[in-house]
Amino acid sequence: MTQIAAERYTGASIKRSEDPRILTGSGRYVDDLKLPGMLHAAFVRSPLAHGRVLAVDVSAARALPGVVLVLTGADLEAVTVPGQDPLFAMMGGGGPAPEYTLLATDKVRFVGDPVAIVVAESRYLAEDGCDLVEVDYEDLPPVVSAAFALDPGSPPLFANLGDNIIGPHKRSEFGDVAGTFAAADQVAEYHIDVHRHQNVPMEGRGCVASFDPDSGLMTVYAATQSVHITKMGVATRLGMSPDTVRVLAGDIGGSFGLKIGASREELAAAAASRALGRPVKWVEDRGENLAASGQAREESFDVRIAVSNDGDLLGLDAAMVLDNGAYPVMGTMVPAIIEGMFPGPYKFAALGFESTAVATNKASYIAYRGPWASETFVRERVIDLLAKDLGLDPLEIRLRNIAPRTDPPFMMITGRPLVGVTAKESLERVAQMVDIPAFRRRQAAERARGRYLGIGMATFIEAAPGPRSPEAGSGPMGMEFMRLTLEYDGVVTLFTGQMPHGQSHQTTLAQIAADEFGVPFSQVRVVVGDTDVVPFGLTGGSRSATMTGGVALHGARQLKAKVLDFASLLFEASAQDLEITDGQVQVRGDPDSAVPVGEIAQQAASGQFDGDVDTSFEVEASFDGGEGGWSGGSHCAIVEVDTETGIVTVERYVAAEDCGALINPSVVEGQIRGGIAQGIGAVLLERSAYDADGNFQSATFMDYLLPTACDIPRIEIEHLQTVPLDADVNFRGVGEGGMIIAPPTVVNAIEDALAPFGVRIYEQHLPPARILELIAEADAG
Amino acid sequence: MREVTVRVNGAPRTGSVEARKTLADFLRDDLDLTGTHIGCEHGVCGACTVIVDGRAVRSCLMLAVQAAGSEITTIEGLATAQPQPTSPDRPPGAGLGTLQQAMWDSHSFQCGFCTPGFVMQATAYLDAHPDAGEQEIREALSGNICRCTGYQSIIDGVLLAAQRSREA
Amino acid sequence: MPVKLPYVEYEAPTTMAEAVDLLAEHQDEASVLAGGQSLIPLMALRLARPAVLIDINGLSELVGVSVTDGTVAIGAMTREYVAEDSATVGDTVPLLAAALPLIGHDAIRSRGTIGGSLAHADPAAELPAVALALDAEFVVRSRAGERVIPAADWFEGYLATSRRPDEILAEVRFPAAGPGTGVAFLEVARRHGDFAIVGLAVSLTLADGVISDARLAFAGVSDVPIRAAAAEDFLSGERPSAELFAEAARRATAGLDPPADLNGSSEYRKQVAATLVRRGLQAAADNAYERQ
Repeated sequence: MTQIAAERYTGASIKRSEDPRILTGSGRYVDDLKLPGMLHAAFVRSPLAHGRVLAVDVSAARALPGVVLVLTGADLEAVTVPGQDPLFAMMGGGGPAPEYTLLATDKVRFVGDPVAIVVAESRYLAEDGCDLVEVDYEDLPPVVSAAFALDPGSPPLFANLGDNIIGPHKRSEFGDVAGTFAAADQVAEYHIDVHRHQNVPMEGRGCVASFDPDSGLMTVYAATQSVHITKMGVATRLGMSPDTVRVLAGDIGGSFGLKIGASREELAAAAASRALGRPVKWVEDRGENLAASGQAREESFDVRIAVSNDGDLLGLDAAMVLDNGAYPVMGTMVPAIIEGMFPGPYKFAALGFESTAVATNKASYIAYRGPWASETFVRERVIDLLAKDLGLDPLEIRLRNIAPRTDPPFMMITGRPLVGVTAKESLERVAQMVDIPAFRRRQAAERARGRYLGIGMATFIEAAPGPRSPEAGSGPMGMEFMRLTLEYDGVVTLFTGQMPHGQSHQTTLAQIAADEFGVPFSQVRVVVGDTDVVPFGLTGGSRSATMTGGVALHGARQLKAKVLDFASLLFEASAQDLEITDGQVQVRGDPDSAVPVGEIAQQAASGQFDGDVDTSFEVEASFDGGEGGWSGGSHCAIVEVDTETGIVTVERYVAAEDCGALINPSVVEGQIRGGIAQGIGAVLLERSAYDADGNFQSATFMDYLLPTACDIPRIEIEHLQTVPLDADVNFRGVGEGGMIIAPPTVVNAIEDALAPFGVRIYEQHLPPARILELIAEADAG
Repeated sequence: MREVTVRVNGAPRTGSVEARKTLADFLRDDLDLTGTHIGCEHGVCGACTVIVDGRAVRSCLMLAVQAAGSEITTIEGLATAQPQPTSPDRPPGAGLGTLQQAMWDSHSFQCGFCTPGFVMQATAYLDAHPDAGEQEIREALSGNICRCTGYQSIIDGVLLAAQRSREA
Repeated sequence: MPVKLPYVEYEAPTTMAEAVDLLAEHQDEASVLAGGQSLIPLMALRLARPAVLIDINGLSELVGVSVTDGTVAIGAMTREYVAEDSATVGDTVPLLAAALPLIGHDAIRSRGTIGGSLAHADPAAELPAVALALDAEFVVRSRAGERVIPAADWFEGYLATSRRPDEILAEVRFPAAGPGTGVAFLEVARRHGDFAIVGLAVSLTLADGVISDARLAFAGVSDVPIRAAAAEDFLSGERPSAELFAEAARRATAGLDPPADLNGSSEYRKQVAATLVRRGLQAAADNAYERQ
C-alpha cells in the first residue's frame, strides 16, 4: 500500500479548526442570522391526528399589529408547485405517491400538521397571530396503529390512494428458503417490535429565506446536510429556475438525518419571503421538532430462523411492517436496505424477506442515523434468543457462524462480498476486553446477594461505504466530487458538497490534503455550504470518510502533480525530482532550493507563460470509492437491573471497532460514543409516544427523555487492525455504527441480567415500568 | 415596553423590551450576543445557560426585566480571559480561557450547539468546586444535554481544566 | 407548539405592602412570579396565561433563614441553592437538606425558591413531600393580614393550594429536628434531576432503640403529597427491623391509587412506593444512628 506522502496529520488526533469559534460562542447557526428587514414565521398546526379542514379564518391574525402576512394552505397552493418531499422524490422507490398540499388544505393527517404560516415582526408576535387563527375541523377516525392501517376498512389518509398501504407488500428470496427451512433440525419463530423514537439534534430545523425582488434571486440560509438537495427542493416546489436559487449554510447544530432537502415549513417560509420581498426566518421550537419534524424506527418483525442442533445458522425469513407516519419521506426505502443487510457477517445460506409499509396519522418516518438499524437489532436479538433456546453460549454461536475471510470473499446471500470483514476478530477482542469468565463469577456472586447484573454482546457490519460491486463494476456509493485549488497565498482550498454538522470535516479533510499535498495543516482551507461554489454532495450514510477522504487524497495528489509539473519549469528539474514539504517546493534533498508554494502559484498567475503551459492550479476531482470496504465491530455491555424499581444502569460498555484507517482518532471515537449514547437512549429513555387517538404525548423534554452525563458510562474503544483493500483509501465510515449496534448490545445485557426470572425480550424500549412488567409476566407465565 | 439595563460581560447594556421577553431572547436579539443558544425554551436542555451574579442560570427561565442591575457573563465574556501561549499547529488569535483550552485539547464537542451552555455551567461549577471528581462533575452537568458526544469527551475537558487550574 | 410567552402585564413591587395591594386588585388574574422555574415554562408553552405577573423577587424581606424556639422560619424567597448551602438548614431541618440536592439541577436551584416550589405544589416535587412529612406551617399575607396554614390543609389538589388569590406565601416554618432523629429522601426518577416518579420523605426519631416518631410522605403517588399515616402509626413504639419495614411498606401503599402516565402504570408506582418505604426507613434508621 502506498503511504500518504508525509503522514504527519492523518491518523493523529489533530485539534479541530472548528473549535475556537465553537468554544467562544462565535459559531454561526441559522438562528443567529439577522438580515435587514427580516421577519419571523410561526405555524398554526393541527391539534387533531386526522381531520377534515372545513374553514380557516385568518382575519383576526392578519389584523394583529405586527403581523405582516398570513398564508393558508390554499394561498400557498396558488404560488407553489405540487410535489413530494425532496428525499422521497429523489429515492422514492416507485411505490404509491400520495397527493397532498404543502400546508394542509382539505385534511390534516397528524398532530402538528402545519395549516397556516403567520409572518410577523418577531416570533412572539407570530405566535400571538397563530393564537388568533381559527380553524374549523371535522374529526375523522384516526389510524394510529400499523395493524389498523393494514385493515382495508381503515379510513384512507390520502384520497388518491385507495388504502393506507404506502409500501406495497413485496417479497424476495435468496437461496433455497423453503428447502433450508424444511431440512433444518429446528426452526424458531419470534415476533420483535422496535419502537418509534427520533433524531432530536440540539438545533432543530430552520432557515432564513431571503427573496430579492429586484434580482429575482432566492437565497436560503439553511440548516441542512446538503445545500444542493435543499436548493433542488426549493427550486422545484417554488417553480423557480435553479440558477435563481442559492443555498448557504454555516454551522449546524446536529441533524442525524433530519435536515435533508427542504421541509414543508421551510418551503412555506421561502414562499412567504417571495411574496413579501423580505427575509423570513423560521426556526422550529422544541415542541415542533418533537411532534412534527419526523420520527423513525417504528417497525415490527415476524422472524423465523432455521438452525442445526449444533447451532449452525442456516436461514432467516422475516416479514416486516413499517409504520411510515402520514407523509412519506424515507420510510418506504428502509425495507430494501434492511433486506440487503439482514444476514450481517454470518454464513446464512438462505434469506426470505417481505415487507409492507403503511401510512398512519403520525409524523413522517424520516432518516435517523442508520435507518436500517433494525436489521442488526432483530438479528442480534434473535441469535441471543436462539442461543438460550438451544443452550448455547451467545459468543460461541456467533463465532461459529461468522463467515470466514476467504479469497475470493464469502458472498452475503443478498449479493455483496464480505471482503475484509473482521467480525471474528472483533468478537474475540471484545470478549478479551471484558473477561467474560470473570464476569460470570461476579454475576453469580451478586445474584446470591440479590443484585442482577447482565452482560450482552452484538456484532454488526455497515456498508460504509461497502465493497466495490463486482458485477456492476461501479463503486460502492456513487461518486464524490471535490474542487481543489492552490491560491497565490499558498493555501490549498478544498470545495466540497459535504455539509458538516458535527463531523469535523474542516479538520479531517484538511489533515488528508495537507499530508498528500505537503503543506502544514493550517495552510488548508475547507469550504462548505454555498451552492454557488461547492460541487454536489450530501453528508449522510457514513460516506464521507471514504468518499470525501478519498477524493481529497486523490485530488490533492492531482493538484500536487500539476504544481510540480509547472514548478519543473521554474526549477529546471524534472517533476519527479521535486517535492513539496512543509509548504515549500524544493529539489528533493536540497532544502536550500525551497520556494514557498504560494510564490509558485503567483508565478503561475503572472501570465508570463504561453498557452501550452498548464498554469491553472485547480483540479476537479472525483472518486468512486476505490475498493471500498465494510465497517463493523462488536460491542459488549454490562448492566445492572434494579428489579424492585426497574432502573437499569449501564455499568460498562466496550467496543472493538474496525472502521479502516483512522483519519482522526478523537473524531472517530466521538462519533462512536455519540451513536452509542443514542442507542442507550433508545432502549432506556426515548419514545415518541402517541395515544390511541393519535395525540402526541412526547412534545417536551420532560416527556421525550434524552440521556444525560449520568446515563452514559465511559465507553472503551479499541480499534482493530483493519484489512486494507485499496492502495490509498482505506478510511471507512463510522458515523452511524454506534447507533446501529448499541440497542441490541444493551437489550442482550438486560435479558441476561433477568435470566433468573426467565425473562425473554422481544422489544427495544425498556423503561423501568416495562422491566417490572417483564419480570411479572415471566413469573406468571 | 420597559427599559432594562444589565451589565453583560463587564459592560453596561440597555435595551427596550416587553416584560414577557426572556433573558435568552434579550441577549441574542437585542444585544446581538448569539453565543447563548436556545435548545428547548422550557428549562430542560441547558443550552441557554449563562452566569448571573455568580450563579449558573437558564436564561430561558428568566425574564429580561428580572435581570436589571445584575452582572451577567455569557460565553462571549470568557473568550478574553487568560490568553494561552500559542503553539506551532494552533491557529493564532484564539484567546481561550483554561476551560475552553482544555475542552479544545480534549475534543470535547462536535456540532457545538450545546457548547456554550456546558462551558458556562462547568465554569460556574468549577469556580465553586475546584477539586470535584468525575462523578460529581457528571451530576453537575447532567442538566445539560448533548446529542453528539456521549459526554465522555466533555467530562474529560472539564477534568483536564480542573487539573490544570490546580497545577497553575 | 408555542414557546414564546404570551402578552402579560408586569409589576415588580418593592415592598410587601405594595405586593399585597396588587394581589388584592388583580386576584386570580395575576400570577405571583417567584423563581420562575415552574411558571415561566408554563407560560412559554402557553399553558398558563395570567393577565398580570407580580414579580416578588424584589421583596428582600422574604429572604432568610432564622431559628426561634425550635422553629425554623425560611422566607419564601429564599433561593433553593441558599437553603442547600445553609449550615443552619443542614443542622435543624436535615430532611429538607436531604431533599434539596434532588431538585432539578444546579441552575434551577439558582433561581428556584422554597416558597415558590411549595406554592406551585407539584405533587411530584420534593419540597411538598418534605413539608407535609414535617407538618410545616405556611404563613400567608394579604391586605387583610396574616394566616398560618398547617401543611395538612395546604395542599388541595393538583397544583392547587389553599392560598387565596389575594395572598402571598411569605414564610414556611419547619420544626427543628430533635435528638435521635434520622432522615432520608429517596426517589425513583428516570434520570438524575428529573421529577420523581415516586419519592419519599422519611423522618424517624429513635429513643433507646425504639421508634418514637415516624413520618413518611410520598411524592408522585397522587395529585397532592400523601402522608402514610397508617404506616406511621404502625411504626410508632416498635424497634427497627427489615420485617417491620416490610410490613410498614405494605400498610403505606395499601390505600394508594397512583396515576398512570408515560413513566408507568398505577401498579408500577405502588410497587416502587413500597420499595422506597423499605429502603427509606432503613436509610433513615441508619441516619439516626449516625446523627447520634
